[in-house]
Amino acid sequence: MTTLRDTRTLTRITVTLYWGCIVFGLALPGVVTVAHNIYQRHGAFAEAWQEFRLHLFAPGYNLFLIGVLNAIPFILLAVFILFHLGTAAKQKPMIITRRLIGVAGAVAVAVGLSAWAHIGTTLYPDAQGALVYFFLPIYLLVLIPLGYACGRLVSNLLFRKPAPPA
Amino acid sequence: MTPRQIGLNLGGLVALIGLLGLFYWQSTGARAVPALTNALQDKDAKVRIAAAQALAEIGQAAAPAVTPLLNQALHDPVQYASTEAARTLKTINLAAARQVMTAYLPALKDDDVQARRKACVVLGGLGPVAKPAVPNLISALNDTDETVRMHAVGSLGEIGIPATLVIPALIKALHDPAQAVRHRALSQFAFSIPPTEAVIPHLKQLLEDKDLGIATLARSALNSPHRQAKDRISVYVTMLQMGSANDYALRQLAQLGPEAAGTVPAVISVLKDKRPLYRYLAAEVLGAIGFDAKDAVPALIAALQDIDPVVQMGVEDALEAIGTPEAHQAVTAHRHTESSK
Repeated sequence: MTTLRDTRTLTRITVTLYWGCIVFGLALPGVVTVAHNIYQRHGAFAEAWQEFRLHLFAPGYNLFLIGVLNAIPFILLAVFILFHLGTAAKQKPMIITRRLIGVAGAVAVAVGLSAWAHIGTTLYPDAQGALVYFFLPIYLLVLIPLGYACGRLVSNLLFRKPAPPA
Repeated sequence: MTPRQIGLNLGGLVALIGLLGLFYWQSTGARAVPALTNALQDKDAKVRIAAAQALAEIGQAAAPAVTPLLNQALHDPVQYASTEAARTLKTINLAAARQVMTAYLPALKDDDVQARRKACVVLGGLGPVAKPAVPNLISALNDTDETVRMHAVGSLGEIGIPATLVIPALIKALHDPAQAVRHRALSQFAFSIPPTEAVIPHLKQLLEDKDLGIATLARSALNSPHRQAKDRISVYVTMLQMGSANDYALRQLAQLGPEAAGTVPAVISVLKDKRPLYRYLAAEVLGAIGFDAKDAVPALIAALQDIDPVVQMGVEDALEAIGTPEAHQAVTAHRHTESSK
């Protein structure tokens, strides 16, 4: 059984992952854009920030829409985390660990793919590059469950059930 | 976690989504106009340009920004900022756009080459609204400065009407001694202006141009889908009926002239569009079609009462071009009424 302290830790982890996913999904495109602007301007954050704000709703940029599109799979993942880990305290510690590793796999896939897509599109702009922003949420919705499945598989390999007494 | 904790976190998410929605609502449409109008005064040209572009997206609801936009179009030291302001004005207020045109016409003959270049680019930004500037831009094709000639060609392409003046001028530019001017003229035929039969021999001639870029572009122009524009009339009509890219469809139809006669019923319906630019372009299409648009005369006569004076002028021109006795009579009566005011 899980202790009260374990439950609190699990709640903290759940809430952190929940809000972390939401904030990351919304902010990633903006952070990449601002960082790229700073890199281009050799450190002028104020200008980079202003340029970002100007293009939030500007035709041809729509950074707000890009942020929202990117956030959709992250929000769904966050809600999944909230229910999946938030109700895990009643389970056996091994199941909690397996769930945590599964969620870690899903988060790693979501963060990795999203960051790679946004950084790549910003660094190597292309006429068709904007299509990434429309397809990325779809890819993420498919790959997040796969990431979770991989995490569960790894956890099953790492934490096997003890063999029943002979 | 307790059900209450889960509920609170979900409530937090709903509140966040609500805040984002509120932020979006507050930052778009007519509500964004005051902030964007302030941004037109920014010392950073990029901010002024982005603000002008955002106001263009808002369209007529950005009417309170006309005066600062006019100021930017006429006095901004940055050419691109002036051009974007002019480009925006044509979507908000045609009379203000015409004011910009009138102000820049003398600059086409300025001693300062930079002023002549800027005038060409800004006039192009006004698009078909700058139709009365076409003869002046054609004169600019004889400018001693190659960049002025290149910009004049680009602007003629952007204005696009009347095709009877624009196309011969662009044909002339195809044989300009400067490579950049020939290239710009070819680009018009490759990407925006349907090459007529008169253009084809000149394009074929350029296939042999010693500049490989020119020769390649000439091939593109000859293979351009615009060449089959007559076959695409139905596409333009569909665009008009669906209300998508009306300005593009109307401009293409205006360039086709009498060949677009079959589109008259669809174009008549645009005469009642809420956007003055579209109403103006619709009148231009009917005028370009000429006598074959005689079925549009009653609608055009009604459009003489349009609230926008530039649309009224376009309608007068269209009625004159159609040339039926009824049309002439209506124009004469309208001019008489206007002069007695």
